[in-house]
Amino acid sequence: MSLVSQSSAVIMMNVRSLPRRFWMSAAMVFASAVVVAILLAFLAMAKGFETTMQSAGSDDVAFFLRVSSAAELNSTVSNEQVNILTNAPGIASNENGPIISPELYVIVDGVKKSSQTKANIPLRGINQQGIALRENFKLTQGRMYSTGTNELIVGQGILDEFAGFELGDEIRSGKNVWTVVGVFTTGGNVFESELWADAKVIQSLYNRGSSYQSVRAKLTSPDQIEPIKAFVENDPRLNQDVQSEKSYFSEQSKGLSYMALFGRVISTIMALGALAGALNTMYTSVSDRAGEIATLRAIGFSHISAFIGTLTEALVLSVIGGILGSIAAFIFFDGLSAATLGGSFTQVVFQFQLTSDLFLQGATMALVIGFISGLFPAWRAARLPVVIAFQNGR
Amino acid sequence: MKDLYLIYKNLTRKKLRLFLTCFAIFIAFLIFGAITALQGALNAGVEMSADNRLITANKINFTQPLPFAYVNKVKNIEGVKDVSYANWFGGFYQEPANQVVTMAVDPTTYFTVYDELVVPEAQLKQWQNNQRGVIVGERMAKTFNWKVGDTIPMSSNIFTNKDGTQTWQLQVDGIFTAKDEKTDTGYIVFHHKYFMETQTWGGDNVGWLMLTTTDSALNQQVSDAIDTNFANSAAETETSTEAAFNKAFIEQIGNIGLIIFGVVFMAFFTILVVVGNTMVLAIRERTNEIAVLKTLGFSSPRIFKMILIESCLLAFIGGLLGLGAAFVIVQGASEAMARFLPNLVLDQGIVLQALGYMLLLGLITGIVPAIRALRLNIVTGFQGA
Repeated sequence: MSLVSQSSAVIMMNVRSLPRRFWMSAAMVFASAVVVAILLAFLAMAKGFETTMQSAGSDDVAFFLRVSSAAELNSTVSNEQVNILTNAPGIASNENGPIISPELYVIVDGVKKSSQTKANIPLRGINQQGIALRENFKLTQGRMYSTGTNELIVGQGILDEFAGFELGDEIRSGKNVWTVVGVFTTGGNVFESELWADAKVIQSLYNRGSSYQSVRAKLTSPDQIEPIKAFVENDPRLNQDVQSEKSYFSEQSKGLSYMALFGRVISTIMALGALAGALNTMYTSVSDRAGEIATLRAIGFSHISAFIGTLTEALVLSVIGGILGSIAAFIFFDGLSAATLGGSFTQVVFQFQLTSDLFLQGATMALVIGFISGLFPAWRAARLPVVIAFQNGR
Repeated sequence: MKDLYLIYKNLTRKKLRLFLTCFAIFIAFLIFGAITALQGALNAGVEMSADNRLITANKINFTQPLPFAYVNKVKNIEGVKDVSYANWFGGFYQEPANQVVTMAVDPTTYFTVYDELVVPEAQLKQWQNNQRGVIVGERMAKTFNWKVGDTIPMSSNIFTNKDGTQTWQLQVDGIFTAKDEKTDTGYIVFHHKYFMETQTWGGDNVGWLMLTTTDSALNQQVSDAIDTNFANSAAETETSTEAAFNKAFIEQIGNIGLIIFGVVFMAFFTILVVVGNTMVLAIRERTNEIAVLKTLGFSSPRIFKMILIESCLLAFIGGLLGLGAAFVIVQGASEAMARFLPNLVLDQGIVLQALGYMLLLGLITGIVPAIRALRLNIVTGFQGA
């Protein structure tokens, strides 16, 4: 008999005898499922946050912040500086002139629907060019705010996670009353976690004089960023740092990367615990089947077929667990909406995202558990002396 | 004595299984200890807050300032004992990545309002008289190895110094510690007046007010009085207890905190279920041996007790080792990550909780086979073999 047919015979026998060891096998499946589900939960959280941040930045938008501000909230730009920047090289134009957008960033309170507690929401002061610059901007309900009025439009993320931002609602912020006149999306990125209003109105309501906080400029092409950098460095009146908007947001997207790390550490430690349980299962399986293994060996089956049979049993159990864990993670976590503090000290609304590369990582984890927990018991099964096996196996 | 020997023999009959089972329990309690300590640290701000301390902030959001004149107005409100104030500085040390929580505070009242913080009398006096002085928290001093007498350059990612830089040279006049080890000392405080005079925006405002009431029963009355007093002014206020304020702040992190702790506790219980299953089966294997013991005259209650002791022993060996390892890790992490994490403490409460779970694990996994053994008819016991 060939090795292949020997092995497949042993595998079938092992699998068919599984119900005899039902509870031990179920424990191993369960352990592997939970390890995979936990790993996927953390990775999906980090992935969702990262996507929300990164998809907000384009590489043909230059982003100006005051030196060492790190985030929009901390930065300031004076009106004079904005005027100087308007003359910088490489800025694209449309029918309204150069596409340059000085913006304000104020924190206001909102009440989270999930917990009924207050949280920081950014109110962005923006102008027409700022909206033109965000190409995936779309109004989904209502209309645009009228310039010079206390009207604002809310991002889809805010509408989903926070109470009191429906179309037509009035929002009190200190003495100011804002009216929601529209709802917008920007394709699921971080701008959807914001309120937008006319920059000039915010300047006067929040005592900002004529100053702004950050400046965005649309470039004629992404490689225009270098000439702009040189322009800023050569003008002593400017104390700004320039980078592409994309690089700013990829820096900000690292905010939850510690989550992925934490998830990997926890699930690895957890996997060690599960491994101990799985090894117990497989050793039990080998001693349970000692009689069978000895019989097979006595009628001429090879060492290797016993080895492969046991290893396959372990892999089958852990993979079943992995699949169940992935399904559970998908049901419970994929698309789960969450809001947390981002780099600018404001809420970022994002969705957990289970992508195929994450499932691959989960599958790898399940296979590793199966392989290690099968290897050593399989080794024992292969070397089981026939006589002793018969004695033990009754 | 003989019983103990038998229990020992039973435990160690399959050394590999003993090791694997203990290891799994070890891992479970390692995770439990470490995560519960982390959770406790995040909640320490709420737990450690004083009953009679209130925070008054701008109603729009606590990042918006309040006029300086509010300090004296609040002082005159009935039921208010002491008032202090602070401004957020957005500090970092040398590199923007080295964030240091820095606040500009009133030197005369700050440590009166936060009376759980301890500063040696002489250091406090020295600081109050030195407007460039700074008092650093014990954990910050340890992290950056700052000593009294050092001059430290503290930069801000928000403010600009009138000298054109974003850095203030501050002199370390003292180091503050806390009466309770859970209280956060991971920040530094310097003179509010000096800060206002040297930053370019100027202005006459404070970030928020901290005040104590004469009696915590007056909290509601005082906070209502304050908020009514400033209603319809240019800067309306919102006053809450320190505990509520800190809780709201933690909740900004949002449901992801809930998800993380939920998921990790699920991990803990999974391991326990898997291990418990193994332990139950391990004892079940010995049905015929138990029949032998009964034949030899061991009473049923005695066997019942032996099995329970065995399973509890197993749970405690693995569990205590795991908890010990968690203690070492928590200790290490608390020092190594002083800048990112609040004080991690594996305190008595966590230990008691863990001991409870160990006992529960031992009892639950032992009780099923123990009852079976108790009821076991000798004849069936041998038949089963």
